Amino acid sequence: MTRLLERPLVHFALAAITVLVLPLVLRSGTLASEILIYGLAAAACNLLLGYTGLLSFGQGIFFGLGSYVSGLLLLRAGWPAPVMLPAVALVGAATATAVGWLSIRRQGVYFVMLTLAFSQLFYFLAYTFSDLTGGDNGLLNVPRPRLGGRALADPWSYYAYVAVLFLALFAVLQRVALSTFGRTLLAIRDNEARASAIGFPVRAFKVAAFAISGAVTALAGALHAMLIGVAPLSNIEYHTSETLLIMTIIGGGANLFASVLGAAFYLVAGDLLSAIWPRWLLLLGALLIAIALFMQRGLWGLVERAAALVTRAPAEGAVPEESRP
Amino acid sequence: MTYLFQILNGIGLGMLYFLLAVGLSVIFGLLQFVNFAHGAFYMLGAYLAYAMVERGVSFWLALPLAGLAVAVLAAVTEAVLLRRVYKQAHTFHILATVGLALVVQEIVIIVWGPIGGNLAPPEGLSGIVILGDFVYPEYRLFVIAFTAVLAGALWWLLEGTRLGAIVRAGSESAEDMALLGYDTRRINTAVFGLGAGLAGLAGALAAPIRGVDPFMSVEALSVAFVVVVIGGMGSYAGALAAGLAVGIAQSLMATLWPEGARLMIYLGMAAIIVMMPRGLFGRA
Amino acid sequence: MLNRRAFLTQTALAAATLGAPPLLRGAAAAEGNLVVGAPLPMSGAFAANGKFAALGAALAAEEAGTVLGRKVVARDLDTEGKPATAARRVQEAMAEGTRLFAGGILSSEALVMGKEVMNGGGVFFTTAGADEITGKECNRGTFRWSVPTYGAIAQTVRPLIAQMPQAKRWYTITPQYVFGEGLLSAAKAVFQEKGIEHVGNSYHSLAEKEFSGYLTNAIAAKPDVLLILSFGSQSSDTLRQAVSFGLKKRMTIVLAWASGLEQFEALGPDLCEGIYFGAQYWHGVDTPLNTALVAKVRETRKFSPNYSFAGSYLLSKLLLDAAAKAGSTEGPAVTKALEGLTYAGLTGEEQIRAADHQVIKDYYLLKGKPKAKMADKDDFVDIVSSGKSFLSPEAAECKMT
Repeated sequence: MTRLLERPLVHFALAAITVLVLPLVLRSGTLASEILIYGLAAAACNLLLGYTGLLSFGQGIFFGLGSYVSGLLLLRAGWPAPVMLPAVALVGAATATAVGWLSIRRQGVYFVMLTLAFSQLFYFLAYTFSDLTGGDNGLLNVPRPRLGGRALADPWSYYAYVAVLFLALFAVLQRVALSTFGRTLLAIRDNEARASAIGFPVRAFKVAAFAISGAVTALAGALHAMLIGVAPLSNIEYHTSETLLIMTIIGGGANLFASVLGAAFYLVAGDLLSAIWPRWLLLLGALLIAIALFMQRGLWGLVERAAALVTRAPAEGAVPEESRP
Repeated sequence: MTYLFQILNGIGLGMLYFLLAVGLSVIFGLLQFVNFAHGAFYMLGAYLAYAMVERGVSFWLALPLAGLAVAVLAAVTEAVLLRRVYKQAHTFHILATVGLALVVQEIVIIVWGPIGGNLAPPEGLSGIVILGDFVYPEYRLFVIAFTAVLAGALWWLLEGTRLGAIVRAGSESAEDMALLGYDTRRINTAVFGLGAGLAGLAGALAAPIRGVDPFMSVEALSVAFVVVVIGGMGSYAGALAAGLAVGIAQSLMATLWPEGARLMIYLGMAAIIVMMPRGLFGRA
Repeated sequence: MLNRRAFLTQTALAAATLGAPPLLRGAAAAEGNLVVGAPLPMSGAFAANGKFAALGAALAAEEAGTVLGRKVVARDLDTEGKPATAARRVQEAMAEGTRLFAGGILSSEALVMGKEVMNGGGVFFTTAGADEITGKECNRGTFRWSVPTYGAIAQTVRPLIAQMPQAKRWYTITPQYVFGEGLLSAAKAVFQEKGIEHVGNSYHSLAEKEFSGYLTNAIAAKPDVLLILSFGSQSSDTLRQAVSFGLKKRMTIVLAWASGLEQFEALGPDLCEGIYFGAQYWHGVDTPLNTALVAKVRETRKFSPNYSFAGSYLLSKLLLDAAAKAGSTEGPAVTKALEGLTYAGLTGEEQIRAADHQVIKDYYLLKGKPKAKMADKDDFVDIVSSGKSFLSPEAAECKMT
């Protein structure tokens, strides 16, 4: 059972099951779509955090940029969604390459602070260039994609559209993580000096991880803008970066499906709690402290322990990856 | 003349930023701990001072009491909660302190409500000083003088006392300190309390200028990070120089190019990290 | 090795949160009630407004009792002050059959929700400030109660110019985004027309908290009047710091877009004294509906209604009345019942203009009074003047779709 949890196919199956289960347990197609979109962005964040050991506060840059670029291409250039999406991925990858290339020159806390500074820079850029972004009002009237001549206005039909892209991109991310490239990222995370001594171009690998993560995050941002019909300024805010990081950490390290789980938990818990108590952020704060203290493997750690309990086998050691800097 | 005046105003701002950031810097220097709850301690200091003055306590008593109360609260939090995450990756420092900041913010809203409040400057300092064509609030002049004295005292504490020596030695090698027989845990708690207490004091000092509201912590945190990064983490002199630099830059930009003020500050921060990773005064 | 108990508690916690949705599926879809959605920032930086607005909507629902044979319920939907969450909440509510929405305090939220509600065949009534709501982005499903920037400036700057003909030099402090620009350009137009010298303007970003630099600029320009065009907590910060710089004694200070009572409470009477405020609503307004509302709220809720409360109350009431009149809660029917409607509102006679869905109502110029003259703890200001000023729908660039 615990061994089973390490199989990549199982992870993809879990992602597919999530896609199928969400419509059964949630009444809101919008929330379900949001879970997949943030799940995707969190998985992309995990490629940096869990696999490469890079704690980046810059993910919101790519998410917000994806929203803006998709909105501009759909509205101003009149591109259809299937043409727009690859372009968004390209812009996301290019921006992430630039931000990554500059940021990885520093390590540890300085890296974190550098990504924080970039995230603020991009926020103020979006704020200042309001002719393009709509500034505080946001870029309005972003249309839903069309299929067979009609827009996917119904929440669940758009969910299906998101789900297909989600599974495709999840598979791509998983391929990346399992490839030699992905294993090298893990080696860099665990011992950068050694990886460098062996002869890996560590910097190039880190930048490449940024580029892939940025492309997928930008796509998630584009899907989000089409979901809510606007590219809001808040998508490029520092807060979005923070939320994506929190989702990823809640989920657990170096495991793509864990991030989807983290995003789902964050959004569903927020949705339920905010309906009950306006001060629900207090509970969220307490939960974050609890995770930092007692559940550092996140929700996925719980899943593993559950599996271990079932098979009466020790969970420790079953998972080689542990998120250490 | 306007520029000269903006510089004076910038010094006033900068001294507050210094006070706010130096605690964050010291905590990082000794504990290698990234504290995203620093802004929350600042807010708590402001609210405690506000609540005391509302209940008729003199501002002069409320000011030190607020700082002290925050220091004690922070020390307890450190001993009970935060100490347990030091050994974890930075990821968990950030997670725990982001969580703590959220908890503090919501508690403040529950206790004092979501609407902010106003705290009048203390009697005798509510007037203005007239300098030619310009005016400057007496209270802001007091803030400059007060923080200058405090900065001196801190300098002495960190550079001239045994505690300071321990803190500096400890930030280089915690193991050595433990071998020498110092109780690093108690030192850690004390330093964390001191750092947070300074933030609380900065909050209490800023309250008559800015008022209080439950979201003031976010802005304070980002300012503190900028100052600490530019000045160099763990550096007292760096926090002072960078605090003044950011304050003066912000004030001058209000005349020169207000739209670009924030852009410039973050661009400067990014440039400093890329070119001078240890900041202006950081220890290599 | 494996702490079974710790594991079980953690699992129980996780399961409790993740497992709840199916349970809620049944509970939330309370059958038979007529739900008025109140999409409001209940958490986040504008939670104060959300809290009072939710109470206002609840009072309107309570007063309405039963409409179209269904029990009326106001349901607040927490937007968290974020457009993304706002859009999701109204999409969800519409999926459950809610068609009437009163809320949207922030412009960015309101613009998004207006579109969503229209697309879903509902009606959205808001108090948000952005001119676009009944301007460039106007649509069939969106109505707005608050006076746009043009009227806010006309009803604050014009009467003050008339009252103080000797004050020729005005300085402005403006938040740099669409809303601030709207106020500023309206003010500049009035200045030009009246031969006022606009001696300077300082822009600031929406993230700004420190205004001393801008105030120093203002002092250097030696104006007779300082016109503050920021809103919310930024206008409070600007005003507080302006007073600490002694500007109250040197010039007249005007805050064109004040939030009213909630802002005065945060500032306190000493700061407010002698300051002019432009406002959408004041509980001291002497109209039958307002007098009745104030008496009722003071008696049952123990506070005086503020703008958030009163606005939300009136919007919900208008929607419910229109639904009753139309015999339906569906968007097109309710829209038709609202368009062109004239009614006795909180500010006197109010009219919903059909062409752009803007409510034509009074805007107020208030002046802070000394603490000694306050009749009760909420009596912060006197009403100096009031009136209606609106651009034509064409000039506001509304093309109804």
